[in-house]
Amino acid sequence: MPFDLDQVRLRLPGRDVVYFDTLDSTMHQAAGLAQSGCAAGTAVVAGAQTAGLGRHGHSWHSEPSSGLYVSIVLRPDLEPDGLPSLTLALGLAVAEAIARATALECDLRWPNDILLGGKKAAGILVNVVESAAIAGIGINVNHQSFPGDLAGLATSLRLAAGRPFSREDLLVHLLLAVDGFCRMLREAGRDAILEVFERRSSYARGKPVVVYQEGGLLHGVTAGLDASGFLLVDTRDGKRETILAGGVRAAGA
Amino acid sequence: MNIEEIRELIDLVTETGVAELEVQRGENRVRIRRGVQVESLEVTAPASRAGAAVPPPPTGKPAEKVPEPVPPAPNSETLVKSPIVGTFYESASPGSPPFVRIGEAVQPGKVLCIIESMKLMNEIEAEVSGVIASKLVANGQPVEYGEALFGIRPV
Repeated sequence: MPFDLDQVRLRLPGRDVVYFDTLDSTMHQAAGLAQSGCAAGTAVVAGAQTAGLGRHGHSWHSEPSSGLYVSIVLRPDLEPDGLPSLTLALGLAVAEAIARATALECDLRWPNDILLGGKKAAGILVNVVESAAIAGIGINVNHQSFPGDLAGLATSLRLAAGRPFSREDLLVHLLLAVDGFCRMLREAGRDAILEVFERRSSYARGKPVVVYQEGGLLHGVTAGLDASGFLLVDTRDGKRETILAGGVRAAGA
Repeated sequence: MNIEEIRELIDLVTETGVAELEVQRGENRVRIRRGVQVESLEVTAPASRAGAAVPPPPTGKPAEKVPEPVPPAPNSETLVKSPIVGTFYESASPGSPPFVRIGEAVQPGKVLCIIESMKLMNEIEAEVSGVIASKLVANGQPVEYGEALFGIRPV
């Protein structure tokens, strides 16, 4: 189904939303708009991406008309050490938007993978440039299958619920939820975001995990977040490690 | 550092046309400055990096090939420090060329590297004009808050 941008504009008057049927990457387009001084909250949406970006050079599987691929220009006015909490806030916003649009309850895997039934349904990437943070959000909405290795790792809202959903409706909920959690971060501070994340994510505390890090695997049980939002893991040999980087996976999964 | 490595560095200076290059490997630090005809060499004893923490005022002058005749004070290098805890990436994606190389002239605003923290990619930009004199962290390595990433020598 073609994307109905008018429907979004009608429900979010005054919001700058640009839509492209096909784009190399919504991140590139949004970075250009940010540089030319666009308003905070401006969103770039694509029906399909030919070079969708994942984390540091990973690609993002972008199937035409099945997913929602959006980059939002944020001007969070945070000190650099407050930025990691933005990543958590965006994960919470995506989970909230999905819950409102579909009634599906997602889990959050630190820092911001959105999981349904243990498989990834959405991913988030943030690029901080001089004057803005560009939040790239990819949500698998109406995919009916995934190719090859992805099938075991990825899912879509449709696969999880057994019915298709409106991408326009999801986008409206997403932009509102991103506004809401950014306001929470700005007004209530990062502690509020960390607290909500700990309540919302099964991975935050008491979860046996394996962390894939530079230099090897780390096995342990999660023990909450530190003041910056980094994940704490109690390892098998009784040490408490702060996870600054690396992929966190459920142990035995 | 052996004579072969120093020779390579001299070649690098000559090929790239940069005015000056300083490299620290372990205990040794070598600075190569292009003269009109010959390269001059200075090999110094281990210097404390902490001493270089005070940045000189940016000159704002474009890179010049003719260096000043008087050697600058050894502490004139500006250190680019990480504003956050994260992972250092020298390029936009694995396999793509690094944002900057040692010996390259940079202007304020030039992206030097990315520090990733919790899937948040922070572009670190040069704040002064100069030449990249040293790269202090290897690609993919973790960095601490305030850790020095690059040395920039004003020109």
